[in-house]
Amino acid sequence: MQYKNNPLSPHLQIYKWQISSLLSIAHRIVGIINILAITIICVWSLLLLLGTESYQPINFILNTFFGKFIAVSLCWTFSFHVLNELRHLIWDLGYGFDLKISKITGVLALIGSFVFAILFYLIGRNIF
Amino acid sequence: MHASTKKWLFTKISSFILLPLMIWFVLNFVSIYDKSYSEVLLFFTQQPSKIIFSIFIVFAFFFSALTISEIFEDYIQDEKIKNVANKLLNIFAIIIPLITILGIFNLTL
Repeated sequence: MQYKNNPLSPHLQIYKWQISSLLSIAHRIVGIINILAITIICVWSLLLLLGTESYQPINFILNTFFGKFIAVSLCWTFSFHVLNELRHLIWDLGYGFDLKISKITGVLALIGSFVFAILFYLIGRNIF
Repeated sequence: MHASTKKWLFTKISSFILLPLMIWFVLNFVSIYDKSYSEVLLFFTQQPSKIIFSIFIVFAFFFSALTISEIFEDYIQDEKIKNVANKLLNIFAIIIPLITILGIFNLTL
């Protein structure tokens, strides 16, 4: 039997969209965005080695609307990943597998990610 | 212990450790991203932020290498391409944090 042409998971073209699949795919995409962001932040920290003069253009970019957009976006991607990862860890402990509970925790993780993103930003900016 | 079980355990332990580190980092990033050179430098040179950031990136890259290899497992059919992709991923996950930590520990006020 030929297995080579079998579709690969998660068979996006076959399954109907639902909260579980949406969060699973989003979790992977957000995870990749986060590690790319962390890589850029590593480069950002290394650029400090070049001295204060070389840092000026980066400081200028980070002080624009784009810089704020990056900071707010990272608050959401990090909070979404934290909450959904927490959901995965609870599953690993053997809780929350019931279909109804799984859907509720999924919705909570999604809504909570926006709430946490706002909280992270406000706490980080010392607005509280 | 089976290699897959070991990989699963490492993924879960690193994810558990990463949760508070991610919250710590995002809160600090938001507070310093638009600050001056000296303030950003202070964050990366003073303790405990220097050591916590170093631990954070080590776990972040370790975790990402384990989880991205799962994505390769799901989406890459060709074994040779998958092996090359995994090797590149592992090299990336070692080199980036290593260079960053060496850089941070060479930063001076």
